Amino acid sequence: MTSPTAASGAAPILELRGLGRVHGSGVTTVHALRDIDLTVSAGEFVAVMGPSGSGKSTLLTLAGGLDNASSGQVLIEGTDLGTLNKSQLAKIRRTSIGYVFQDYNLIPALTAAENIALPRELDGISARAARKEALAALEEINLTEVANRFPDEMSGGQRQRVAIARALVGDRRLVLSDEPTGALDSETGEAVLALLRKRCDEGAAGVMVTHESRYAAWADRVVFLRDGTMVDQTVSPTAESLLASEVKR
Amino acid sequence: MNKALNRWRLGLRIARRDALRAKGRSALVVAMIALPILGVAGADLAVRSSQLSTDEWLSREIGTADARYEVYEAGVPILQHPTDPSDMWSSSWDDEEPGQANRDPGEDGEEEPAGRFRFEDVLPEGATVQEERSGYADIATEHGILWTDIQETDPTAELTRGKYTLLDGDWPTGPGEVAATTQFLTDTGAKVGSEVELAEIDHKVTITGSYELPGSLRSTSLLAPSDSLLPLLDRGEDPSNVRYLVAVDGGVSWDAVQAANELGVQVTSRAVHLDPPADADVPLFQHPDYFRWDSGIDSQAAALIGVAVALVVLEICLLAGPAFAVGARRSRRQLGLIGSNGGDRAQLRAVMLSSGIVLGAVAAVIGIVLGVIGVVLAKPFLENIGGSRFGSWDFRWLEILGIAAFAVFIGTLAALIPAINASRSSVLESLTGAKGVRRGSRALPIAGTVALILGVAVALVGGLSMGSAGMVGVGAVIAELGLVALTPLLVGGFGKLARFLPLSGRLALRDAARNRGRTAPAVAAVLAAAAGAVAVATMTAGIQAQERAEYVPNLPDGTVALTMWNGSESQLDPLRSAAEKTLPVTDRADLSTAQPAPAFCTGGSAANLDWDPDDCYLEIRTPPENVCPLWEEGSEALSEQETRDLRQDERCRFNRSAGWGMSEAGPVAVGGPEILKVLGLDRPEYRQALEDGKVLVFDRTDIDSEGRVTLAQYENWEQEEPAGTVVLPAEHLDGDGYGLDALMTPQAAEEAGLGTTFAGTYYASSDRPTSQDEQAFRGELDDLVLGSTTSWTIERGYTGDYSLSLLILAIAAMVIALGAAGIATGLAQADSEADLATLAAVGAAPRIRRTLSGLQCGLIAFMGVLLGAVSGLIPALGLLMADHRDRLDWWEREVAEGWDVGPRPELHLALPWETLGQLVVLVPLIALVFAAVLTRSRVTLARRAG
Repeated sequence: MTSPTAASGAAPILELRGLGRVHGSGVTTVHALRDIDLTVSAGEFVAVMGPSGSGKSTLLTLAGGLDNASSGQVLIEGTDLGTLNKSQLAKIRRTSIGYVFQDYNLIPALTAAENIALPRELDGISARAARKEALAALEEINLTEVANRFPDEMSGGQRQRVAIARALVGDRRLVLSDEPTGALDSETGEAVLALLRKRCDEGAAGVMVTHESRYAAWADRVVFLRDGTMVDQTVSPTAESLLASEVKR
Repeated sequence: MNKALNRWRLGLRIARRDALRAKGRSALVVAMIALPILGVAGADLAVRSSQLSTDEWLSREIGTADARYEVYEAGVPILQHPTDPSDMWSSSWDDEEPGQANRDPGEDGEEEPAGRFRFEDVLPEGATVQEERSGYADIATEHGILWTDIQETDPTAELTRGKYTLLDGDWPTGPGEVAATTQFLTDTGAKVGSEVELAEIDHKVTITGSYELPGSLRSTSLLAPSDSLLPLLDRGEDPSNVRYLVAVDGGVSWDAVQAANELGVQVTSRAVHLDPPADADVPLFQHPDYFRWDSGIDSQAAALIGVAVALVVLEICLLAGPAFAVGARRSRRQLGLIGSNGGDRAQLRAVMLSSGIVLGAVAAVIGIVLGVIGVVLAKPFLENIGGSRFGSWDFRWLEILGIAAFAVFIGTLAALIPAINASRSSVLESLTGAKGVRRGSRALPIAGTVALILGVAVALVGGLSMGSAGMVGVGAVIAELGLVALTPLLVGGFGKLARFLPLSGRLALRDAARNRGRTAPAVAAVLAAAAGAVAVATMTAGIQAQERAEYVPNLPDGTVALTMWNGSESQLDPLRSAAEKTLPVTDRADLSTAQPAPAFCTGGSAANLDWDPDDCYLEIRTPPENVCPLWEEGSEALSEQETRDLRQDERCRFNRSAGWGMSEAGPVAVGGPEILKVLGLDRPEYRQALEDGKVLVFDRTDIDSEGRVTLAQYENWEQEEPAGTVVLPAEHLDGDGYGLDALMTPQAAEEAGLGTTFAGTYYASSDRPTSQDEQAFRGELDDLVLGSTTSWTIERGYTGDYSLSLLILAIAAMVIALGAAGIATGLAQADSEADLATLAAVGAAPRIRRTLSGLQCGLIAFMGVLLGAVSGLIPALGLLMADHRDRLDWWEREVAEGWDVGPRPELHLALPWETLGQLVVLVPLIALVFAAVLTRSRVTLARRAG
């Protein structure tokens, strides 16, 4: 198997080196991930596919600093997450990493603008300045009309687009999305993917976990996981080629 | 700095909106915090408003006058406090001859001081003066006779403005007219326009209006125009019954006050009140024997207040804590999201603590507003309780802000532990909702055990050795914190019992034990409620046991005493009829008081209502050989050991164990042998002794070596040696006299030449009269016109009953305990949806959900009340021991000094079994039933909201 690397010569944003994650011990030991190597560069959009239990979400949580690796390294823009304490990890989550979840994960008590401004406010930016950035982000995704709406006053697509805007607000250049279209209809899903794609084209690095080949086809590269191991990758995929690869595997 | 500000701003924003989204939970927390705040804020406003400003106080005391002059002791110099004339020193109290004004009147042929006293010499020259006279009268009303103050003045005069408030009708303008206080009208049933009669002189007056004294609402007074009523009562001239309100240019200075003091006149001066002299200029403060009261709070009281506040704060935090824990649990995903967006621990803590701040602030506003509204609405009621009108409303903004800050502090404190727990949770677990069984902290049980042992030790040492309630309180707080810290471990321990239970019980107990994070705060909340109730109940039970053991009966058990001071015996007839009709009375004994021979009683007898130094009286003269040396002159020269030894001597022993309920007929009572039945001493030898004309004497040392008793007759109280003595054969009566020293028959008294005055009727009862009997008796009396010189007593033994207050306490604790258990059960339900769905899938009956909820709730309540009962016993027993230690110290000190102070105090401990039973059995049962009934049995599919 080859070690998947960025196709272009752009600077790597995310580097996974020999990454492994073991849950439990003794007879209950489960190897969720084994010896994963993956590099995602600026401007690159990588999709991760695989059956349930293959380790897709574990890979994402390790890459986002939400969980600790059992072996190997996670480097975000050259910084090894394993060397950071909890406060430093929190800082890197608010300054370098953006997360998008399947079920939107907006804070119910905050408006759309406030949700987007959240990482910036947490980072110590004044509420006014953070809101300004949030409104600019909303304008970019053509959602200024929902700025003052609470999550339960928005549609699913709107919520997910707000979540993507939040994931990339500020200087963050890595967006990790876990089944971002899972709860959306296909048309809205396509719109969300288009937005993610656009962000990557503008210089962000993206990693997306998905089950669906047609959404994975938006990526520059698709890596396949099975039983915690990376088994294949496809560059410049089409939906048809991905379907064929899945059938072959 | 900016980041910290942002952290709190963001936290407060989220907390505020969360509070609005979870209205029920927020209301619960707000109610818990607001309730004590309401009480404190209301009490603050009520107390401050009831404290009058100097101007308000002066207005009530001296109207618009510059000063009030009143005689303390005519012509005898006094030293007075500048602003409290009643705090004074009279030169007549000095051991040595004080000032010139108090010299022996006879020494250079001067008059007595009072004789040469004239108010005109004291009042400032050129002053405008308003006289106020006071006295008293027996007023006959439709209910009977009421002892009433009479005041004579002109209430419409400028100088009296502010002293009297006319509420209805008109002020009296001439003879035969009076105004009455509202209390007088209430007590007598009279109305404006009614006539009332001065019983002593059969003189009727018409009530023209009702009024109140703003500073003395419960005063039963009549106000009449000057010289219209008091002269009719003909009580003689007494300067101390006259006061003068004075207005004079420039006011009345401190020098003028002191000049008046020289003549025995106290002065309340507006000028002195508004500008008091320096302490150095106040001779009273320089007097060597003057004790200046320190109104400050002593350190012991301050410690107690501190401990009480700490206990209240602890209880509120323990009660409100679970609600915050529920909030944290519900907000888990939200907190995880903040974490995934880079929120660090401090930021997560800030979000949770902000909930405490927001809810504390809301509770502060609600508590303070409701407290203020409550006091405003309850003002007339509070004024009646205090007996005085409030001054103007006095809002102390700083104090109110302090109370509000206290509410916010309590809220924040209650949210602290949930906040720490939330911030320590893994972001991933928070996001995914994953939960596992965590190994509990090892440090917490160790710290809890140490705190529990330390707390109990401190409470015991404080109670047993030092008698310090403050130390007991501190120990109780430490011990309770220890138990709270031990709660997770104890909950785990309870969980081990699960295997002995059937499926539902097993599931409930295992769930509670495996989820200690949610169970422990709820158990701690129930613990707090139960601990408070058990502490108060145990204290009350101990006090009740002590009161019962130390109860001193005033009369023999079941005795009914109908007594009178003067007037004719027939005044008692209606009481006797009422008693014989409604009470289980049997034997009747009429007693008189033995008086000296009529020849010695030319100035009246001691049985008159008004004690007079000219009254004659009779007493038993102890034979010289039986007089206790301790009462003799020169006893101070005895050594401590001699004094202690003498205390054990029969001559010096205080042999009484009962009360003084028959003292109206004493010291030597005259009556037939029936009284022996009433006293429970009806033995043939005593009857025989009475028949033989002997005097039955209760104290053996009153009988001389020849078996006789000597009755000394005095013509008045100033006589040092008796005018005559009677020596009679006597026999010792072995029993308690309830205030009587001796008994003799009317024939014996007559033969001895003694006079008698009727004292009262005493009945023995077949059974101890019950409360219902007494009410029936009172009911009969309500319809009778009674003289103010009659009274009655029924000896019903110890009747202290705290059962109602204990029941209220238990119910309050139950409600709180059920609330806390309910919260935890609701949370457990939310967590158990998946388990319930699984159970349903494998074929469990729908009622399993109800059964599980009921058992979860019941188990939490049971664990809480059990631990609470233990926790509550610590302060209660400690405080009872501290009180006992105090009493024992006092007793030992007195005994060491040679005083006979009765038996050694005993420690009376009693457990409130009824309250404990209600809490330990009833609370879990009710919790179980309520939770089961209020739970839907249908299992719904769980869905996670976006």
